[in-house]
Amino acid sequence: MADELERADRLFEEAQAFARTYRFEMTDEYRALIERVEAMPQNQPGADKSGPWRGSAADHRAFVDASSGPRRM
Amino acid sequence: MTHPLATLARELAAHSVRYLLIGVSGANLYAPAGQAVFITKDFDLFLPPDPDTLVHAWTASERAALELWIGDEPLETPRDRWLAERVIAQRALVRATGASDFQVDLTWVMAGFAFEAVWQERREFMIEGVPVPAARLLHIVESKRAAGRPKDHLFLATHKDALEQLLRKPDHS
Repeated sequence: MADELERADRLFEEAQAFARTYRFEMTDEYRALIERVEAMPQNQPGADKSGPWRGSAADHRAFVDASSGPRRM
Repeated sequence: MTHPLATLARELAAHSVRYLLIGVSGANLYAPAGQAVFITKDFDLFLPPDPDTLVHAWTASERAALELWIGDEPLETPRDRWLAERVIAQRALVRATGASDFQVDLTWVMAGFAFEAVWQERREFMIEGVPVPAARLLHIVESKRAAGRPKDHLFLATHKDALEQLLRKPDHS
């Protein structure tokens, strides 16, 4: 358990370091990718998003539960 | 069990409040059922900087059984136009919270965008039978780029890969 927490802490620190230095460039390729996703049938106006929403809420609860657990100091 | 955002969205509609779901929770709406979503602990609602809209949004939040906060303090009462004008002038963030760690930020800021421009191209989805207007995915990504915070960088670094994976799935090609 302690090893897992140490590993999680290390990954978190690595992610923070990465985020501080990462420089994002919007490319035509990324823009085209987004437009393809927006054009998907399930993303048209009026689409029912209740399904993925529940998944997101469940993920959120799992995240909150994990975050509120004991943390090694 | 009804998702608290559906309850809030119903009240916002009943009070004719214009708003847009933005941020990571907005981007998650574009993921199909079963697709991995990005974890976020809150929902960001982008509002026009209009005092009357804000007062109605506060009323809707209260009717959805949410508590309103400004910083670490409960939003003072009366929650009227006078207070709304001051909150907007200070560009203060008001947060609505409810059961099960439900958290909604009412904001007037979407980096790089004015409300009306995003509203014109909004996409309205349905959540548990309730219409929920969301910003275009393109606008959400562009705003993340403009905001440029570390958490935005992390999102942008992985979001493109997530979209590529989504489009590679046979059902969505």
